[in-house]
Amino acid sequence: MKRRKFLVSFALALALAGLAICGANAQQSSKPDNKAIALTGLTGVKDNAKGKLTVENGKLHFVYGKKSSDIPVASIEDVVTGEDSQAAVGKTVSTLSMAAPYGSGRFLALFRTKFDTLTLRYRDENGALHGVIFALPTAEAEPIKKELLAQGAHTTVGEAKAAAATAPANSPSKEPKQ
Amino acid sequence: MKRYANAILCLAVMSVAFVARPLYAGGPHPVKAKASAIQVKMIRSDEIKLPAEFQISLYENLVRQLEKQGGFEHVYRDGDRRAKDAPDLVILHSTVRGFKEGSERTRRVTTVAGATSITIHCEFKNPDGKVLLEKDVNGKVWFFGGNLRATYDFAKKTARVAHDGFSSSEHKS
Repeated sequence: MKRRKFLVSFALALALAGLAICGANAQQSSKPDNKAIALTGLTGVKDNAKGKLTVENGKLHFVYGKKSSDIPVASIEDVVTGEDSQAAVGKTVSTLSMAAPYGSGRFLALFRTKFDTLTLRYRDENGALHGVIFALPTAEAEPIKKELLAQGAHTTVGEAKAAAATAPANSPSKEPKQ
Repeated sequence: MKRYANAILCLAVMSVAFVARPLYAGGPHPVKAKASAIQVKMIRSDEIKLPAEFQISLYENLVRQLEKQGGFEHVYRDGDRRAKDAPDLVILHSTVRGFKEGSERTRRVTTVAGATSITIHCEFKNPDGKVLLEKDVNGKVWFFGGNLRATYDFAKKTARVAHDGFSSSEHKS
């Protein structure tokens, strides 16, 4: 009888511990770590610089090492994620060679992790157009895009979808059949 | 006798001149147009759908390569207000004509398949819109590197075209 009680209480303790661990993991995974790689285009930052990407006080903030680079959100004309591109072009473009350098062997290529991209267009104080591409872990580009849009950035993704939707309806009136 | 010698000499000189002239004229003498500054317009891809990251990567690499090896005193980006005051400005318009997205994984595994290729029509115009030079430039990545490396290849080739076609000083050969 004693043994049975002990087993039941042990099983309960195990179940509770399991639940607690699951909860902690869920909390951890829901919180993005904001890791990003500035693939190209960020002024004053070397290509493929690894750092953290955040949106704070109306600025897109990229911290790498002891340095940082900011882009005012209001100057961003277009924000597109890799998923947006995929939807528009119809092919995956998000596999990036981030971990292995060239010549690491064919074997590694089979185990590449998929990353998402965040592509921005913005204008500087002279009106000059700049483009920046960030690589982020999968599903972390969309929250940053939403944050940027909420703080005043623009995107052409909605416009493109709307244009695609209206194009078939407008085409007969534009080009009448002869 | 002296008359014959003079005639032969005259004929020889004329024949040498006749033969030498086309040889001289046929030599490579590319005349470079004068351009001290270039403005790079954003790459257009109206007919061919191009992923946003390719478009940006093409543009950024193009600006960078023109700054490195284009031979211009100033390289201006699309929309830069300072460009309108630049003397001898050339404006580069680029339109995507062909795009085949390969696969880095296929390239690494097979080494013969999965190449990414992009063809872009480049037009160098003066501020009045007159075309000074135009060429189709191809960017490829065959064996190593990500798909975006094709944009680097294109940018390097275009910068070379610009370097060969224009000069910041008057008519260098």
